[in-house]
Amino acid sequence: MSTVLAAAGVGAGEAWTFWILGPLAILAALGMVVARNAVHSALWLVLVMLCLGVFYVVQAGPFIGLAQIIVYTGAIMMLFLFVLMLVGRDASDSLIEVLRGQRLAAVALGLGFAGLVGAAFFRALDSRDAIGLAQANAEGNVQGIAASLFTRYVFAFEVTSALLIAAAIGAMILAHVERHKDQKFTQPDLMRARFAPGNYPGPKPGPGVYATSTSVATPGLLPDGRLSDRTISPILPKRELTEAESTPKATEGR
Amino acid sequence: MNGFTIATPAQVLAIDVRLPDLDYAAMAPMLVLFGAACLGVLVDAFAPRQSRHTIQFALSFIALTVALLAVIREARVGSRELTADVALAIDGPTLFLQGTLAVLGIVALLLVGERALEKGGPFVSQAAIPVGSEADRRQAREEGATEVFPLTLFALSGMMLFVAANDLLTMFVALEVFSLPLYLLCALARRRRLVSQEAALKYFLLGAFASAFFIFGMALLYGFAGTVSFGGIHDAALLATTSPLLLFTGLAMVAVGLLFKIAAVPFHVWTPDVYQGAPTSVTAFMAACTKVAAFGGLLRVLYVAFDRARWDIEPVIGTIAILTMLVGAILAVTQTDIKRLLAYSSIANAGYLLVGALAFSKEGLSSAMFYLAAYGFTVIAAFAVITLVRDDDGEATHLSRWAGLGREAPLVAGVFTFLMLAFAGIPLTSGFTSKFAVFGAALGVGEAWPVALVIVGVVTSMILAFPYLRVVVMMWLSEPAEQSPTVAIPGAFTSAALMVGVLATLLLGVFPSPVLDLADRAAEFIR
Repeated sequence: MSTVLAAAGVGAGEAWTFWILGPLAILAALGMVVARNAVHSALWLVLVMLCLGVFYVVQAGPFIGLAQIIVYTGAIMMLFLFVLMLVGRDASDSLIEVLRGQRLAAVALGLGFAGLVGAAFFRALDSRDAIGLAQANAEGNVQGIAASLFTRYVFAFEVTSALLIAAAIGAMILAHVERHKDQKFTQPDLMRARFAPGNYPGPKPGPGVYATSTSVATPGLLPDGRLSDRTISPILPKRELTEAESTPKATEGR
Repeated sequence: MNGFTIATPAQVLAIDVRLPDLDYAAMAPMLVLFGAACLGVLVDAFAPRQSRHTIQFALSFIALTVALLAVIREARVGSRELTADVALAIDGPTLFLQGTLAVLGIVALLLVGERALEKGGPFVSQAAIPVGSEADRRQAREEGATEVFPLTLFALSGMMLFVAANDLLTMFVALEVFSLPLYLLCALARRRRLVSQEAALKYFLLGAFASAFFIFGMALLYGFAGTVSFGGIHDAALLATTSPLLLFTGLAMVAVGLLFKIAAVPFHVWTPDVYQGAPTSVTAFMAACTKVAAFGGLLRVLYVAFDRARWDIEPVIGTIAILTMLVGAILAVTQTDIKRLLAYSSIANAGYLLVGALAFSKEGLSSAMFYLAAYGFTVIAAFAVITLVRDDDGEATHLSRWAGLGREAPLVAGVFTFLMLAFAGIPLTSGFTSKFAVFGAALGVGEAWPVALVIVGVVTSMILAFPYLRVVVMMWLSEPAEQSPTVAIPGAFTSAALMVGVLATLLLGVFPSPVLDLADRAAEFIR
């Protein structure tokens, strides 16, 4: 690898930067995938992005490098982190393998594929020096990007706005629950509804607690021995009691 | 050493940045759709809830019609040009495919806008409500989300840009613009919402991977050619004196992104799940329009940028085509769900299209474009029939439920039989003429690879006829199941879509020559 780097006219400083930050970036990327905690994952990703930003700067792309650090790492990832903290950060993903041996096969195939792609890149870049950097930076890096954005790629640049609009709509429809006007209650409304005729203002009775069952899906018994639907949550399927369970049992003193 | 320099003020002044010539008439179809989609977002924000669906549908319909007229106008002018510097190519294939996209888009829009089959339409009202919660039960009878219309328009505008893009960067942006709305649309089914959301997530994750491959390949190709425009890559490949390995590695990675979109084996695994989980009208839209757009892009990449590397890429893409046809046909036989069956059939059809593409000739190009148009109409009509066969839980897609449908609803069963025969490639249907055109173009080249592909194509067509005919036999000859589904009376929109699809399938089978001539005259890329 070092021969390739040397052949491509890479200075010692660039090589050192690569060999220090390259393994770090890979480790951080692995850490991001492996970490159980979502916040840790996000922090690992921040490290990956910082390494990438330095790589871009070293590879004569100062604008994209700084944009990576300031915009992606500094703004987007930090916002992401805030959202994670606000929404809650419990790791509740199931780690059950649906297909037996899937993870092992995935690791083996993934390593194989990475080797294949790595070998292809190595051979490809070994056989011929990549061109295009000098002409892209001929007028200066930022100026070159500006010229590209507002000349040849002006339409593509404009069209990315459509992408952003679609993404914003997507975030809205997948995450935003609209509350209807009639579902918004103020405190006086709630109090009035609570003491309105036909409503029992006290707390509802709990579900049935029996010697044989303490499930929240088991309705409680009224004093006359009937089952009460009000004792269980309406979204729970009612657990039917058997005849033996629902008949009042004779106690010792009787 | 790749050090960077800080520009001095004199240098800043030295750069001459001037907006390139933009041919607005040629870009009109895309601009109209982008504009209408943005308007649609505003409609959703400000129009009263009960009139949104009407306004959105009318807006989308008008926008697509105007886009179609703009394409026709541009085709009559006969413009062949590169615009926006060289980022967009307005040539024959672009206009033919954009016109096809507009027409198929209108037909698919009819299915998306249908509300007669189910109260509130086929889309969920609020996708954010957790599945199975009480709020979810409350929203079961609410009006469906109307954001689907702007999303559909965004997707169509991205597709139109995709077939016109003349460099990899514009193509990548277009790929994302048409993919992102599709991921979202997949998640919005009213029934079986978990399956629908799972489909959307799978499609999104795999699509993101495919996009990453595409962009990586783009970087390698830039390293080879010093440009990402197709003409530039062609020139660099022509003049290359050193090893072209960088070119091939780049092409391989770009091809992964494109072959994923056309659902070629081994990049097809998302197709059955997504086709099954997405709302059926969205599946119809994807099966017809995504295929047209993705193939349009692939054809341009192969014919414009890589025609010099033809001998080297033919074995690779040829092997993929053979695998695609075989896997699609064989797995279609084993399916028990009608939507999955059509998904595998669509995979096999991608293989037949690749046969035409690999002819690398004018006939190959025109036959592939004809195939795209013909297949699009048939597949939309087939999915329209699937939306009609329903029971209490929505669409009854399991094949056993279709048994004896011929007695219950002879007309619908007859239409579906005709469409199945078209898929199987029986003469007097568009399926026959399009397959004939594609295989004929491949044989016309008279070389080993195309001939081998045609042989595999004919064999797999025979295999693939079996599942289609099994559905037909089941509908007419089997005893109806005890709990047979009812066939809903189609609303005006579905009837119209069905009629257009069936008529196009019949007409392109009986009088294919006008469209074949049109495709033939259009089949020339500019560089």
